Amino acid sequence: MRGVYRVLAFLVAAEVAIQASFIVWGDAGMGKWIENGGVVDKATMESAFDGGDAPFAEFSAFMFHGMNGMMVIPSIALLLVVSSFFAKVPRGIAFAFGVLGLVALQVTLGLLGHSFSWLGALHGINALALFSTAAWTGLRVARVTGAPRVEKQPERVAV
Amino acid sequence: MAVAAALLLLGSLGWMWLGSLLPSSYAVTAMGPPDLGGALTGGHTSHLAGASGVGTPAKAGTRDVTTLVERRQGTPDVAVTITARQQRVTIAPGLTVTAYTLNGTTPGPTIRARQGDLVQVTLVNESVKDGATFHWHGYDVPNAEDGVAGVTQDTVKPGQSHAYRFVAKQTGTYWYHSHQVSHEQVVRGLLGALVVTPREGIAEDADVLALSHLYAGKRTVQGKTGDVPVVVPSGRTARVRVVNTDSGIMPVWVSGTAYEVVAVDGTEVNEPTPVEGRSVLVPAGGRVDLRVRVPSGGAAARVEFGGAALVLGPAGSSATATRAPRESVDLLSYGSPAPLRFDPDTPDRRFEYAIGRRPGFVNGRPGVHWSVNGKLYPKIPMFMVGEGDVVRVRISNSSGETHPMHLHGHHVVVLARDGVKATGSPWWTDSLEVRSGESFDVAFVADNPGIWMDHCHNLPHAQEGLIAHVMYEGVTTPYRLGRDSGNSPE
Repeated sequence: MRGVYRVLAFLVAAEVAIQASFIVWGDAGMGKWIENGGVVDKATMESAFDGGDAPFAEFSAFMFHGMNGMMVIPSIALLLVVSSFFAKVPRGIAFAFGVLGLVALQVTLGLLGHSFSWLGALHGINALALFSTAAWTGLRVARVTGAPRVEKQPERVAV
Repeated sequence: MAVAAALLLLGSLGWMWLGSLLPSSYAVTAMGPPDLGGALTGGHTSHLAGASGVGTPAKAGTRDVTTLVERRQGTPDVAVTITARQQRVTIAPGLTVTAYTLNGTTPGPTIRARQGDLVQVTLVNESVKDGATFHWHGYDVPNAEDGVAGVTQDTVKPGQSHAYRFVAKQTGTYWYHSHQVSHEQVVRGLLGALVVTPREGIAEDADVLALSHLYAGKRTVQGKTGDVPVVVPSGRTARVRVVNTDSGIMPVWVSGTAYEVVAVDGTEVNEPTPVEGRSVLVPAGGRVDLRVRVPSGGAAARVEFGGAALVLGPAGSSATATRAPRESVDLLSYGSPAPLRFDPDTPDRRFEYAIGRRPGFVNGRPGVHWSVNGKLYPKIPMFMVGEGDVVRVRISNSSGETHPMHLHGHHVVVLARDGVKATGSPWWTDSLEVRSGESFDVAFVADNPGIWMDHCHNLPHAQEGLIAHVMYEGVTTPYRLGRDSGNSPE
């Protein structure tokens, strides 16, 4: 179960990286569309959801970002919490809940960013906090459980 | 201990997930709980929330939606047959899309009638796989003609046909579209315009339809991209009937001359005033009629849609395009007040329609979903009314996104926005943009019995569950929703 815990934590970190790359990919596609004379307004954006042909191919990145961020990542974070009950990593449950909390905060900031753009800016910063916390949650497993304790070998002094 | 914690966490989530699953077949009347709007108690504080199973036992005076048809018999004054197909269609050079066509085109044929005409439209479904219907957006037809699959009829499957009949009582600009898998079928063009003129004709010299629709992200007006020339002699006026068939709000403005907003959602504006340097915002599904006078010097006037424009003027004339104005016409104070046909201050029912957003499951799908009065689909309230009731609704939105709210079968009048009373021409609407953070007080008279959708016309939002209904007491439906029924109105 410790392995599962570790993998899930790294998966959250990897997902955050994917989210970052997708949102910029979508923005770049939109920039290119406008650059070539395309028009974007509320109707354009909404009509591209569900069944509509997107104005630019990269539009799918926006949809992916939304679904991945609101459904997949919260589910992984939840499974991380569940696995933490069994993984017996010192303070592992606290770290798992920390990741889940940051995910919840991230979704909230992302949605509130539609109303208050400065909260959208915090969504970008919180992504870094979430990435680091999730990565550290995975990395520290080896450190605190003493599994392959390579670095703790007593140093030998050359004579 | 670990097992218990895991079971508790996953078990409660699983319970919520299970509870959100929709039955494979269900009646719209089983949604709920009913909200009586305070009618039984005389106050508006004690809704019967928590009661379930609206319209379960058949009572005396129960009416079936199939009986709520147009009563006038005889030969229709306007009879149209429209065949729906799924096909590849070229909208403009380089813009070929898979679309739904009506008599071979998208948008479909414009249905024109004069006030008082008996209209009959027959939908023939040739090849629309999921089936189709015609809903008369903004037109207050009898309930059985409303075209909502699973509520007022069954979807019209390939090879089948269905006739709609109604008397053209209201004048103005309207549109029709499929209300079966509408989030996909409307986007792909299963729609057209409905225009009803007074018998004596209109005051303007030219009657110009300007139905806007996006195909693959490209805006079209009357199915054409770019600048669309319309010949109108110098110095003459045109009534430009703007229809927003997309899922988001659309600003429209005029370059080269001033204009007046002469009608909103089919209702004439009382004493419209000239507008210059401002746009008019047309909500998803909404319509405005603009009166535009072509300049007398030989130049044109441009009606701008953002990506497309109508160029009104003598043949070959032009006008310089202008950018979208930052300011827009506020319909709350536009035009002059006029008496209403009823007193909205002594309502028989009062409802709250509070749109929010919260995490949870809708039909097993996890996400952060739209809620109505804190509840997710299908547990959102059923607004119960009696025939003849004066109904007041406070629509508020704290969901973080804007919602164009559309009530079927009725027009509501806006009384106030954010507590500020309306001071302009009576603002009758069927498609009202409610921005995040805003609240509207609206009122209507329940004068058209049936079961009527009251939903967000950002069609993907409707598909995500932002759908409530206004239901008249004693009205039942034999039609079913759910995956086994073949009906999927969203």
